[in-house]
Amino acid sequence: MTRFKDLYTEADTFLHRLDPRVKMASVLLLSLLALIMSALAYLLVLLTFIFVLLLLARSSYRKTAFAMKFVLRFMALIAILWPLFDPSGTPVLIRLGPVVITEPGIWRGLASAVRVGCLATVWYILIFTTSQRDLVRGLVKLGLRFDFGLALAIALRYFPTFGTVMESIIDAQRSRGMEFEKGNMFVRARKYVAVLGPAIVSALKTADMLALALQSRAYGARRNRTYLRELKMRPSDYVALVTVLAMFIVPTVAKYAFSVPI
Amino acid sequence: MNASVTARRLPIISLQDVRFSYEGGIEALKGVSLSVARGENVAVVGGNGSGKTTLAKHLNGLLKPSSGRVLVGGEDSSKTSVAMLARTVGYVFQNPDYQLFCTSVEEEVRFGPKNMGFGRDDESALAERALKLMDISHLREQSPVSLSLGDRRKIAIASVLATSPIVLILDEPTTGLDSVESAQLMATLDVLRSEGMTVVLITHDMRLVAQHMDRVVVMSEGSVALDAGVEEAFSDPDRLRRCKLLAPPITVLAQRLQAQGVLPKGAATPLQLVELVARVRGERQ
Amino acid sequence: MMRAFELTKTKVRYPGSDFPALDDVSVGADEGEIVLLLGSNNAGKSTFCRLLNGLVPNSIPAQVGGKAEVLGRDVRRTSVARLATLVGMVFQEPDNQLFCMSVEEEVAFGPENLAIPRAEIIARVEWALEAVGLSGYNARSPSNLSGGEKQRLVIAAALSMRPRLLVLDEPAYALDPAGRLDLYALLRLLRERYGMTIIIAERDAEEMAELCDRVILLRNGRVVADGPPSEVLSDIDEVVAAGVSPPQIAHLSSLLADRFPGKTRPFLTTDDAEKEIADLVRTAGSGAP
Repeated sequence: MTRFKDLYTEADTFLHRLDPRVKMASVLLLSLLALIMSALAYLLVLLTFIFVLLLLARSSYRKTAFAMKFVLRFMALIAILWPLFDPSGTPVLIRLGPVVITEPGIWRGLASAVRVGCLATVWYILIFTTSQRDLVRGLVKLGLRFDFGLALAIALRYFPTFGTVMESIIDAQRSRGMEFEKGNMFVRARKYVAVLGPAIVSALKTADMLALALQSRAYGARRNRTYLRELKMRPSDYVALVTVLAMFIVPTVAKYAFSVPI
Repeated sequence: MNASVTARRLPIISLQDVRFSYEGGIEALKGVSLSVARGENVAVVGGNGSGKTTLAKHLNGLLKPSSGRVLVGGEDSSKTSVAMLARTVGYVFQNPDYQLFCTSVEEEVRFGPKNMGFGRDDESALAERALKLMDISHLREQSPVSLSLGDRRKIAIASVLATSPIVLILDEPTTGLDSVESAQLMATLDVLRSEGMTVVLITHDMRLVAQHMDRVVVMSEGSVALDAGVEEAFSDPDRLRRCKLLAPPITVLAQRLQAQGVLPKGAATPLQLVELVARVRGERQ
Repeated sequence: MMRAFELTKTKVRYPGSDFPALDDVSVGADEGEIVLLLGSNNAGKSTFCRLLNGLVPNSIPAQVGGKAEVLGRDVRRTSVARLATLVGMVFQEPDNQLFCMSVEEEVAFGPENLAIPRAEIIARVEWALEAVGLSGYNARSPSNLSGGEKQRLVIAAALSMRPRLLVLDEPAYALDPAGRLDLYALLRLLRERYGMTIIIAERDAEEMAELCDRVILLRNGRVVADGPPSEVLSDIDEVVAAGVSPPQIAHLSSLLADRFPGKTRPFLTTDDAEKEIADLVRTAGSGAP
């Protein structure tokens, strides 16, 4: 259930050092770029660029493999299914009763697969190289209220804990002879009452204690709190941001203002 | 002290060079061999992270060894479901909150036997017996959630006893209980043992071990550091300390007095020590 | 010297409860004392602790009668956040108190809330981590620490607000015996080095006699004994009546005194016990009184 606590891997690369706000903005811009571009060749260039960044992120091999497995499967699925449902254009390559497959359909399928690949993997750059606390810190700095940021951080922090609790509860019920694998869907769903009940009780107890702990640590003492770690844009952050902005603006202007087929 | 007796009895559980690693590679058990005979009382002790809970979860198949073998009632745990093994081995989790979910105590206690497909009559009889053993018959209508930790522990134990296991594993059953609740619980366990129940008790409280158990398995860093009778296990306080444990003060004192030739051995409680003093004084006079 | 806390005829009753959680409690402590609050479950220990940092009644609704002062301040009129700078609080289970993603953030959380300037926070984090023996752990994730380290981190997170009182509600709950001794050693050190007042609530008195200066024995919300450990813990009947198992050596001392009146002096440590019993046995045959 919780194979990895999160996909973030501790390392010291330039991607790790980048300000989380710059990373968020860059990932967003590159995602938009993937949506704007439609030519397979350019999309492939973008995908290659993202892959190079992923390699530079020095994530663990296992985590990368785990994350990429889903993306590659999804890409393959799109590349195969797209031509079946998009029979426009010529030449027609295959005609089997109602099924028509055309050459442009295949190209568009490939382009869509690559685009989805870009959209998914670009976010991995952010997730692989940014700790949850930096993500939350970035969001708060971008204007998210501190309470919400804290709630989000606590939720992320306790997610794996909750997973462990669920596993323990399942173990406790299996020890009393419960077999979760047996029975039809409804029978099985009913069995999870024996898991959800205790899970909710223990989550509520944890929440209760957390509330006391937060207050005991002066939570809410001042309206304007200070921060141990302040996010500060460094020259390299600006360079990165300008580079990505250029990567976004140049093709966009070329495509819409000058009708370059990108 | 009863090693010869143990050897002759057939083991109900036996572990043969069991190794186990959690996902992510931490080796929690590094070659554990152990057998528990029917009717034995074994305390499994050790510091946090010593592997005692991992070991206990192998005894009813919740965890399967990465290598080596676990035999429960002669069955290989890797080839048997937890539900099947549960008929032989009952496991009471440390936190009763993880186990209790029914709206009444009675339902909770019937849940196990129902899962195992005992007939309705047997189910009632087993539940009644378990409620009585744990002395909670008067709580049968109540909702477990609203009761004290001590009572919830008893319910959790009753709900496992109701499946009439041969071996009962208890993971730190006295944590969070005060001395009255803890004494009650241990007294109940003494009754179960006198009726022939095999008890495996995981605990930090060496005073309980000294007073109630026969054999001690000391776990340290995933290995069995010591497997001996209580007297012997507590005879070397430094060794215990290295395993993050503390011998009970009375045991330490009794052993020092014995080493000096002041008293014979055999005191596990303050009262027993006073009796010894009285006896020795009587002999001297 | 200012009193660390002073309760005078204090009564606490939770809404909907038939019995008061604390009843007519008059007790206090000087600064720099280590006080053991001893009692069974439901004796009122947690209420006592939570009253000292104002969670009761400011956050957990309750009727509080009588007087309740911490370092001269009425807890009912002082916010929990304000009291946090005077009273550090440590609960049972570290996992329910460590909610940050790194050790240093955990320790900085309190000072950040108090809007302490950043440079000062950095200094406090370093100081607090050093005080509990976790220097260099700054970037580690709290959830990957051992049980003992987690509890020390909870203490550091309280210390960084520079409280003068540290209140610990069953802090050894999740620790193994060795971890428990380490924790007690740390508490003694905090008192020695920083003169902190330390209040520990426990169910079990074993190994406590040597740690604390005073024992307050609670039973059903009332103080039934208050004094040095040698006094309170050797009144075995009172301790047992309060639902607490007495320390074995103290218990032995009292049993011996009952069985051989006038022949032994009371003792609390294993060393003293050894001497007394050796004497007692050796004098038996010699005909000495």
